[in-house]
This record gives sequence, structure tokens and C-alpha cells, in this order.
Amino acid sequence: MAVITTRKLTKQFGGLVAIDTLDLEVREHSIHSVIGPNGAGKTTLFNCITGFYRPEIGEILLDDRSLVGFLPDQIVQRGVARTYQNIRLFSNLTAVENILVGLHSHLKAGFLGIVTRSPATRKEEKEANEEALRLLKFVGLSGKGDLLSKNLPYGDQRRLEIARALATRPKVLLLDEPAAGMNPRESQNLMDFIRHLLDELGITILLIEHQMRVVMGISEIVTVLDYGKKIAEGPPAEVQRNPLVIEAYLGKGGAAQANAAA
Amino acid sequence: MNPAPERHFPGIRYGLIGGVCVVILSLIGMVEAFNQREIVTDVITMGQTLLLMMAAFVAYLGAQRAQPRRASTVLVSGTASGLIMAVLLSLFVLLGNAVNLRQVFINASPLLFQLLTFGQESLGAGIGLLLLAGALVGLLAGLLSLMSGLVRRALITAFSCVTFAGMLQDLVTPILSEAGPLSDLNDFLYPGNGLCVEGAVTVFVVIAALTAAWARKGDAVRSRIRSLPPSRRRVLNIAYIVVGVFILFVLPQILGLFLSEVLTIIGLYIMLGMGLNIIVGFAGMLDLGHVAYFAIGSYTMAILTSPELGFFSLNFWQALPFAIVMGVITGVLICTPVLKMRGDYLAITTLGFGEIIRILVLSDWLRPWLGGAQGIGKIPRAELFGFEFGSPQTLYYLILAGCLLIGFISWRLRDSRLGRSWMAVREDEDVAQAMGINLVSTKLKAFAVGAGFSAMSGAIFATKLGSVYPHSFNVMISINILCVIIVGGMGSIPGVIVGAAALVGLPELLREFAEYRLLVYGAVLVAMMLLKPEGLWPEATHQRELHEVESDAGVADVPETAVSRG
Repeated sequence: MAVITTRKLTKQFGGLVAIDTLDLEVREHSIHSVIGPNGAGKTTLFNCITGFYRPEIGEILLDDRSLVGFLPDQIVQRGVARTYQNIRLFSNLTAVENILVGLHSHLKAGFLGIVTRSPATRKEEKEANEEALRLLKFVGLSGKGDLLSKNLPYGDQRRLEIARALATRPKVLLLDEPAAGMNPRESQNLMDFIRHLLDELGITILLIEHQMRVVMGISEIVTVLDYGKKIAEGPPAEVQRNPLVIEAYLGKGGAAQANAAA
Repeated sequence: MNPAPERHFPGIRYGLIGGVCVVILSLIGMVEAFNQREIVTDVITMGQTLLLMMAAFVAYLGAQRAQPRRASTVLVSGTASGLIMAVLLSLFVLLGNAVNLRQVFINASPLLFQLLTFGQESLGAGIGLLLLAGALVGLLAGLLSLMSGLVRRALITAFSCVTFAGMLQDLVTPILSEAGPLSDLNDFLYPGNGLCVEGAVTVFVVIAALTAAWARKGDAVRSRIRSLPPSRRRVLNIAYIVVGVFILFVLPQILGLFLSEVLTIIGLYIMLGMGLNIIVGFAGMLDLGHVAYFAIGSYTMAILTSPELGFFSLNFWQALPFAIVMGVITGVLICTPVLKMRGDYLAITTLGFGEIIRILVLSDWLRPWLGGAQGIGKIPRAELFGFEFGSPQTLYYLILAGCLLIGFISWRLRDSRLGRSWMAVREDEDVAQAMGINLVSTKLKAFAVGAGFSAMSGAIFATKLGSVYPHSFNVMISINILCVIIVGGMGSIPGVIVGAAALVGLPELLREFAEYRLLVYGAVLVAMMLLKPEGLWPEATHQRELHEVESDAGVADVPETAVSRG
């Protein structure tokens, strides 16, 4: 069953069609990757799903309920969380505080409860803290919770961003090039971790990646975008052989060479 | 890289910069104005200290930058910058003697030149002395730069303490004279205008020794306190609080009328600063019209209580909630149109709103209700169980209570769901929204709370003065409050107190400063941005995880990460 569905999704910036009548189905409990060359519209797709952009035409459904027209904070409350291509942590907050912000919409404390520190608020804060520490441990950052997030090493920042997204208790997690800037070994570790997320938490993962190689091992379905259009979709091995995909990545000449080599 | 040819270059460059600065300080009349106050009787005045500190600071920077860091280069670099400053100042003196500068620069008086040449009869001797002093200061700064951190800190602290002790004689004397046996210290330290030489030396030696001792033993003491069992530590904390409350409580009795008045002004600014701190420091929205809420609080209090208008004639306590609520409503009203704005646009718009409020209360149109330019008078004093908050010494308690209440609320909010959502909006609005934070309600709450605090300050201000005038609510108040929280440290609650004491308290104590307030603000802000951008008392990052680990030792013991396991 599809968790996220887009139908004829189109997003334009002036004359530029960033996403062109895109139909996409992300199946529940799967890792679905969206790949494509630079400027293919991958991040725009994420921005449309999470409510930062409003598509001109088309529909985005989460479990048959439309997401179009809702604000980002309403969409995350419906269960779609994301990370960013260029890490966007709250850099002057500590790692734990970053995660606590992710828990925001699951907390209820109001002004009076906070000022009087009512029993309900105290209990809620205690539980939130415990959950934050659990998430911190889950992503392997135990002991680093009191560091300002800007002082964490790059790889840890990536993981903290995932922990913060997980704190919103999402059904679907959108990861925007999580392996960017990592060496092959690190990105392999990360992919294993993402697999682990799916197995452990049962959430659906929609993954943007620039390099095909990285997602091959873990994705069930790969969608290839080029100039906002879907040019191929299917299991990784199949997509990898698709001549249109090779052409999009390597250009026409490259495709010919690749064919000759094959 | 061949650094050798330019190794004295920093000294020369800093010397030139410093020289221009000291000449400007003299030209704008600061040196002469500060000269009324003697730091050490018949030895050095505040004006001279100002020049001296400026020169020492600049020469120290020059010496610090000297490459390579050998004793000779550092000392030469420091001396060079000191000497160059003195040369520039001498040129200025020569110029002033040759040409009548007063037609353009009214402060270039003979008195100033006499001051700069140490009152010497002959110009030559004076300038010689000036050059010698410059070189000596530079050399000392160079020596300071070579010393170990501990000695340097001790000397600088001791020197600052002597300067402050001399500068704040008016503050220290009444405190000491009230303190029984300590009153003898008064005669010893301050026989006339300023410290006596023996007094200055004593203060210097005592402070230097204490600083050095604390630097050496401080860590040990701190770790001793930390290793105390929790119950003992709690007792210690309670003791701190009791002593703190006691001191706060008896402060106006010790300080007397004038200083209590200064304290009440600081207190009002602390409340305003805490309000703005919510909006700017926590939520990161640059609000330059903060005076609007102060004005609303004051005017609401005036309208509801003043018999001059005769609308309501409530008492202070009945009117206070209305004043706060009016502030909150204004905050929400002002925030609503600027919800989508960020940064510069927000600043300009709020600046406009601040002015609009002032112009409205000044207008003839609203005169029947707000009194126009004449303002509203006869605002009754606050009274509680027959205790009247009239004189500064009694009003202090009202303001203290307000500060404590607002500080407490700020502190609780900071570390809560609401505070975190404000800080998330400050750090990155888009991401905050993507984490489920409703931007509209979060921003409105920040403005509502900040405006409520400031309206409370305004309400107390109205009963303090007994009357309100539109002119009390000009844009400078907004700027002052902003400076207070920048200097204290954005988003830091103790920072607001430190900032208010430094920027509002000091100019009240040192009337000479008041004239140069804006200049000093500008200089302080530039210096802060360059040297200590996080503020005098920056916000501490929270140690959350470690607390948890203490109580639940199992958590941090698992170095195995989910990633490496996978």
C-alpha cells in the first residue's frame, strides 16, 4: 500500500518547470530512492511534499489524504519528517535541545504550566528528556548530548539531524542526500543505518541521492528524475541498465560508450 | 614567508590607530570633562586615566601581534606603539599652541593642552614628558604581554579595581560609612577627592594578591564544592540564596537615597531588557520599537489611576493587570502585521510602530484622553497594607519584586517547550516550522510575553514619576534597551542584569559620562562585537545529558553505535 502518492505533480519557477507531471508511489515500509543529476528537481519534490512549496498542479497524498495547501508544521504533525541536503541543525542549541525541538508537537505544556512548573509539565519534560536521550543513543551519539550541535563533527551532525527528524515520530522520513560529503565507507555505514531504521522502527524512507551507487544496495525501488520528469522507475538493478538513465547521467556520447563497453 | 621585515609593523600600525583615538578623545572634550574626578589625589585624574588606559590597551594589542614572539620584538613593538601615540598627541599639542583650534574645536582649550603636557611651564619639557610617558606605557604594555596569564590577570584586575575605586568614590564612601568598623577605612582610602597614594597602593596589592590566590586555588575550592555530598551542596545553595536575598533586601538602606534612585532606574531597565530579551534574545526577532510597550504600560496606568482625568481612579494594584494586558494586546497587534518579516525589515517596521505610539500620545486628536504634550499627572503611588512605595528607597522593593517575578518567568520559560520553540525560530525559521512549530503562535507568544514584561515596567515607571509625558518614550529608550541586552549577552538572563548595571547604572553614577553616552555606547558596542560578541555574561549551555547520566549511570556507557552495529 502506498504511503505517499503524487499525481501529476507540477511545480514551476517562472518559466522553469522544476517538476513536470510527476506520478510517484512510495510503498509502506520500503526504502524508495529518488536519484537524478543536479537540478533534476529532487529537492523541489521534497519541498513540495513537506509543504514549503505549493505545487501549481497535481496532488500529494499521505494515506489518501491530501497534503497540498497545508503548512510545513501541519504536515510534520501528520507524519512526514525530513532532513536537509546541507545540514540545518539549530547550531547554537545542544544536541539534546535539537531533539527536544523535534518533540515539540508531542508536548502540551502551556504558559501557565511552564511558569508554575505543574506536575504535568514536569512529567512531560522528564519523559521528553528520556526520549531525547534514547534517540541520541539510537543514532550513536550517547555522551555528546550537551555539546552545541555546531561543535559536533560532520558525520555526527548528519546523524543528529536524523534523530531530530525521528523525534517528530514520523511515518515517512525524507532524507535529502544524507551521504553527501561522506567517503564510501562512511556512506556504506550510513546506508546500513538507514536499513536499520526501517527494520527497527518500521518507518517508510524516501531517500534522495545524487550517486546511484550509494542507494543500489538498500533501495527496493529507485525513481530517476531528469529535468523534473520521471525517466525510469523500478528495482535498482533494472534502472541501472536503463539506457535513458545512463544518458541522463553521462550524456549521449557517454551512453554510446557505455553501450559499446557492455 | 619572511616575517622579519615587518615584525614591528603591528606596533606602528596600532600606534597610529591609537594616536588618532587619543587625539579624538582629547578633541571632543572627554579628557577635560573627566579631569574633574581624581582617581588618586594629586597624582592622576580620570581624564588622564582614560588616555592612559587607551594607550596601554592599544600598545598591548600591538605587542601581542608582534612577530616573532621574542622578548625584544614584543617590547620594541609595545614601546613603538606607545611612542607613536605620544608623538601624535605631541603634534596635536604643538598644533594647538601654534594655531587657535578653538574656532573649530571648542574643546581644544588651553586647559586641555596644559593637562596633556602635565602642567609643565615650558612646552619643551611638557612634550618631552609626554613622549617619555608614552614610551613607558608602551614598554609596560609590552612587559604585560610577556608575563604569564596569571600575573597579567592579577595586575589588570588590580589596576581596574583601583581605577573603579577612585572613580566610584561617591558610591563607595556612603557604603563604607554605614558599615560600622569599616568607616575608618573611608578616611584611610579617601582623605580628599579620590584615593590617597597609600590607599591606592593598598587596594592594588590586596586585589592583586587575592586574584592571584584565587587563580591558583580557585579550581581546588570549586572542585571541593562539587565533591560535597548533594545534601551539603543543597545547604550551601540555600545559604547563597539567603545571603543574596538579605543583601538585596537591605541594599537601599546601605546605599542611601541617590544610589537607591539609580537602582530603581536600573531595575526598570532590567524589566524592559528581560522583555526585549524574550523577543530578540530568545526568538531572534529584532524589535526596535520596544518603547511602545513601555509607553502603553505607563499610559494605561496613568489613565486608570490619575484623578486628573477622572475616568476610573483605580489604585495601582487594580490598574497593574490592565496595564500588563494592554501591553500584551499591543504586542500581539504589532506582531501580527510583521509575522512574515525577517531581519532588517522587521527592525524598520517595529521602529516605525514605536514612533507611531509616541506620536499618537502626543497628538491633539487624542488629547482629551491622553493629555497630549502635557501628559498626565497626579498618578497615585502604589500602596500595600499601608506601606507606600514613594521614595526611591521604598520604590526599590516594588521594582525588585517586579524584576524577580519577570526574571523567574524568563528563567522558567527559557528551559521549556515554549523557550525551545523560540530558540528554534531564532536559529532557523524554516527548519523550526518543519519540526512542527507553528510560527504564527510562537512569534505572537514571544511578542505577547515580551510586551507584557515591558508594560509592567512602564506601569511602575508611571507611579515612580507620578506623571507621564510623551517625551519620555522616544526611540532612544528602545536603542538603550537593545544595547543593554547586546552588551549583557543575547538571550542571557543574568546578562540583562549585568548589561543594565553597566549601561544604565554607570552613566548615572558618572555624570561626566552622561554627556558622552551615545559615543560610549557606540564604542562599547564596537568593542563588544570585536572582543566579546557573546556578551559580558553569555548564556550558559545546558548540561542536560550529564545530569541524567548522574542519576542513570547506564546511559552513556554504551559506546557501540547503531551505525557501526548495522
